[in-house]
Amino acid sequence: MAKQTIFYGAHWCPDCDRVKKWLGEHDIEYTFKNTDDSQDIVDEMLEKTDGKHLIPTLDIDGTVVQNPSASELAELYDVSEEATENYHDIVTVGAGPSALAAAIYTTREDLDTVLIEKGVVGGLAAVTDKVDNYPGFPEGVAGLKLAEDLRAQAERFGAQIELGEVTEIKDEGQYKRVVTSDGDFLSRAVLIATGSDYKKLGIPGEEDFYGRGVHYCATCDGAFYRDKKLIVVGGGNSAAQEGLFLTKFASQVDILVRSDQMRASDVLVEKVMSHDKINVHFNTTTEEIVGEENKVVKVIGHDKKTDKDVEFETDGVFVFIGLKPNTQFLQNSDVELDDIGLIKTNRTLETAIPGVFASGDVRSGATMQIASAVGEGATAALMMREYLEAGDQELYS
Amino acid sequence: MAAIKNITVFTTTTCAYCPMVKEWLSKKGLEYEEAVLDKDPARQQEMIDKSGGMTVPVTLVTREDDTEQIVIGFNPGQLASATAQG
Repeated sequence: MAKQTIFYGAHWCPDCDRVKKWLGEHDIEYTFKNTDDSQDIVDEMLEKTDGKHLIPTLDIDGTVVQNPSASELAELYDVSEEATENYHDIVTVGAGPSALAAAIYTTREDLDTVLIEKGVVGGLAAVTDKVDNYPGFPEGVAGLKLAEDLRAQAERFGAQIELGEVTEIKDEGQYKRVVTSDGDFLSRAVLIATGSDYKKLGIPGEEDFYGRGVHYCATCDGAFYRDKKLIVVGGGNSAAQEGLFLTKFASQVDILVRSDQMRASDVLVEKVMSHDKINVHFNTTTEEIVGEENKVVKVIGHDKKTDKDVEFETDGVFVFIGLKPNTQFLQNSDVELDDIGLIKTNRTLETAIPGVFASGDVRSGATMQIASAVGEGATAALMMREYLEAGDQELYS
Repeated sequence: MAAIKNITVFTTTTCAYCPMVKEWLSKKGLEYEEAVLDKDPARQQEMIDKSGGMTVPVTLVTREDDTEQIVIGFNPGQLASATAQG
């Protein structure tokens, strides 16, 4: 049976952090008693230490040690001195704006934080040509630049970014095990900030011509369509913004909008409608992408007003029809999802698993805005700090 | 498996996934050559011929026996198997 450990310490004490990290690296659970909380806790500790006031003090199944070294700990627990777990105070799944904002806060609180990213650091913001509504940038900012700056700020305080894919989160009590393609991470709190990805149309030709005429990233692939004709599918902010970006290369951009108006912001709609390279086709659904000899040649749409099919000759199609949450890896976990797969949280942004939090686009109720994602990331960071300071006192109580 | 002779990463300057591939290769200690297609359009056709597509990033791993492996997009798992040593 595992040894029971009572840990007397304080949150300002560097040796307490050192010992906590060592315990985490060996997957050893403990009850933390904060000596700043009450005189009773101090008296309890002093009784065990014959009046010697020194933290960290550990009571390991009745054996009391003060400020133990790694080798003393290894001997007491009968384990190897070297770490057996890749332990961090906080692991974030994803490294988009929300996770990066959280990391800026947690690292400044001296919480050892690692971010695991399977796609692009900065998330969807990084692949957005221009972000015009993020506060503090009167002229707007390139999405990639915003992402790079958020990353640099988080790294300046010590955030560590790992490239890999998280496949599972296991609740092991005090510790959470984050399983990735490159091995496991152990932490006391997890932030899921995996955001969302662009939806696919699910029409004939879309899969067949992916990357060969069908695209979901204008900043990535737009440059291949210099002086070509393009179709953009969608009527929201992304379709409008990326459609405008594509006019830098394309000779003509036709935007197919399913409803009778664009859902994009008024400023963007006005730019789109007045652009001489862009034609917007309302009430037009996208039915099929047709190719010949390995390249896209036309898109077949359906005009809902006339109830007739319409054909658009084109060299490529860019699809921006909305977002789907990146929560597939949580399907078999205890994290609760809503009907569309977004993560349900309580008021402290905590999921159904204690110590596992969610913020940004992936959270049920999110507004899908970078500024909101950043705000939620900061909130989640503060909630995780509270959880870490309070949560680990309850283990044996 | 033959040793890696060279690695080429096809990119564009505005593509956010491209630096991720370069960072992944660098973290693994792998050297690579970069072809920036919007600055060097002459190499676009080479990338299209190799990958059969018009999307970046594309990573081309050539081994000493001249076998080639292509990874389209930033995919750590596929990059790991394409650059496996020994």
